[in-house]
Amino acid sequence: MLWNLLIKDLNRARRNPWPYLLNLALPLCITGLIGLVFGPSSKGGGMGQIKLAVVDEDDSVFSSFLRGAMNQGEAKKYLDLRFLEKESALAQINDNKVSAVLIIPAGFTQSYLRNSDAVEFELVKNPAQSFYPAIVEEFMRVVVAALNAVSRNLRGDFPEWLEVLEKEGRPDVRAIARLTERLGEKFDRLDGFLFPPLVGYEKETRSKEKDSGVAVNIFGYLLPGLAAMFILFLADNSVRDLYREIRLKTFDRFRTLHHRVLPMISSKVVLSMTVVILGSGILFLGGGWIFRIQWNRPMPMALLILAYGLFASGFMALLAALARSERRADVLNSVIVLFLSFLGGSFFPARQLPAFLRDHVCPMMPNYWFIEGQRGLQSGSGDVLWTVSALKLAIVGAVLVLVAATLFQRSLAKGARA
Amino acid sequence: MMALLQVNGLCKAFGDVRAVEQVDFTLQQGEIYGLLGPNGAGKTTTISMISGLLRPDAGKVAVDGADFWSDPARAQRIMGVVPQEIALYEELSGRENLEFWGRLAGLAAAEARGRAGEVLEALSLADRAKDPVKNYSGGMKRRINIGCALMHRPKLLLLDEPTVGIDPQARLNILEFVKKLCADGTAILYTTHYLEEAETLCHRIGIIDHGRLLAEGTLAELQRRLGGDQLFVLEGELKGANPDDWPQFLERFRIIQKSDHQLSVAAHTNRHPSECLKDLLDLPIRVENVTLKRPSLNDVFLQLTGRQLRE
Repeated sequence: MLWNLLIKDLNRARRNPWPYLLNLALPLCITGLIGLVFGPSSKGGGMGQIKLAVVDEDDSVFSSFLRGAMNQGEAKKYLDLRFLEKESALAQINDNKVSAVLIIPAGFTQSYLRNSDAVEFELVKNPAQSFYPAIVEEFMRVVVAALNAVSRNLRGDFPEWLEVLEKEGRPDVRAIARLTERLGEKFDRLDGFLFPPLVGYEKETRSKEKDSGVAVNIFGYLLPGLAAMFILFLADNSVRDLYREIRLKTFDRFRTLHHRVLPMISSKVVLSMTVVILGSGILFLGGGWIFRIQWNRPMPMALLILAYGLFASGFMALLAALARSERRADVLNSVIVLFLSFLGGSFFPARQLPAFLRDHVCPMMPNYWFIEGQRGLQSGSGDVLWTVSALKLAIVGAVLVLVAATLFQRSLAKGARA
Repeated sequence: MMALLQVNGLCKAFGDVRAVEQVDFTLQQGEIYGLLGPNGAGKTTTISMISGLLRPDAGKVAVDGADFWSDPARAQRIMGVVPQEIALYEELSGRENLEFWGRLAGLAAAEARGRAGEVLEALSLADRAKDPVKNYSGGMKRRINIGCALMHRPKLLLLDEPTVGIDPQARLNILEFVKKLCADGTAILYTTHYLEEAETLCHRIGIIDHGRLLAEGTLAELQRRLGGDQLFVLEGELKGANPDDWPQFLERFRIIQKSDHQLSVAAHTNRHPSECLKDLLDLPIRVENVTLKRPSLNDVFLQLTGRQLRE
């Protein structure tokens, strides 16, 4: 029966596709507009350099090494580093000349090499900017993850490194050589993990590669947020079909055919998920193609979208059941979706919101789980997050579907009308 | 013979509004029972309770001898329901609608395809089967609306005002089709607010108003309530006239309706019409015209409720 209901709805959608097409076209247009206004200055949808002020209060060999690492290679493509005193760095934030200030506190190297529990950077984000500070924050998360990895693997050698670094006068070259050799041996043992064998080929099109975009693409950061919101609208449009069925009395006719309400609700949820999957395909693949985003983890992304589709459908079915009339739903659903999108980080990164919302409210939002999961997958820092998020979304979605079906059954038995 | 549908003491209230109150009737196989009443009389609520869309506050519905609510699925398999609204998917074709509802009613795919063809033929819509329903005329939509309820060959058909809003020719086609269904043995509960439909189509008629079944019976039985075949309609200046003051009038006649310009009365006894007419012309009022006619359902309704069905 579910199959019949789904085929019927897909046939109807095929013959009247405009509401769905509109919901699919909008996010692409809006992503493009936002990206063009706030984002890239370089070709191919890539972003321009982010201006980052660095205040090195530690002023040690190690902090110099960190500064150097951020100021060369790939990082230099995206970061315009300015090494300043704290006051002038903060003044530049006030003047909106930098996106963030990274403060390496005094004693950072000591704390790090002594395996202290509390080793901290301080990152001051420019509140006048939305996306660049968030990207810097993501970047610093990667740096922290790398430092943690180094700490875990080389912890045993840290006291000796500290001794060498703290030694007054001429460096102990023998000690440095010994430690370096030991470090080399460790790297040798990790060789298989660090440098796995690669098979590949290289095309002789280097001149074109310069134009083909860069690894970090601001649209790849924006699109999941907007997609989260428009997936909710897509789900709303599909689930809202329940009202049309009630208004047209086809729902009543269905109920006179020895069927309960759950299959009808489920069919709308399946329809919604089908539309969400198709829509997400267009949004993420089409968006990827248009904005030259290279999605890093397509399979986990797809699973996360599936789970979010279930949540979105269940959530919209619940709203439909609570609203009890199409007219009320017209008003309520849009407001609720926009509000949820605001809290989940569709418009601004959630980390830019006031502290109470950011720390206590946003993390409770299912769309936040989805958005952060997708961004984590894209930035490469979210392996655990996406699986947990997908599981939570799927469970919440399934529960919402059951609750919605029960509410619908009750209100229809009482004679509710669309 | 056991009734296919038996309704006893059916009641339903929405808040303070008593939509249906103590409605009783039965329906036999091959019979058309008309539930006649104005809009808001409780016809649709009654059908909704019989079909399981609404749970009655009190009373019982028995379908084919078994209580509906003890096994709703069994009862619903026996019945087909045609809602008052056109409950179709306008984007789909007539055939697709029929097949879809047939599948949901439990038919296999091939069976639904075959049955859809039969129903389309019976409804004279075979040549438009592939057109989207949105391109159909009102009458064609109404026919498909009925057809969807017939896919699983129900023994009991509930038709809720199936001819609302269509032209006379289309209405005639539907009435003929309903008669054929009845001739094939289907029991039909037919709600309407059109007097002519109830008079010409239904074997028995129940008159419902404000949720109460005021009277029921065959057309002849209902007419007899007004004194057989004789109904006199007097037209003239009746403003200020008081029948209570007229000698022996109320012993001889029953007032069906009185307005400033019209008085409808039925004779209490089977006196000859000429005698009745003489009595009426002797009344102390200025009569401009007198009509003798057979009572219609509207007159019955008028007598029962004090107002016209079309008011």
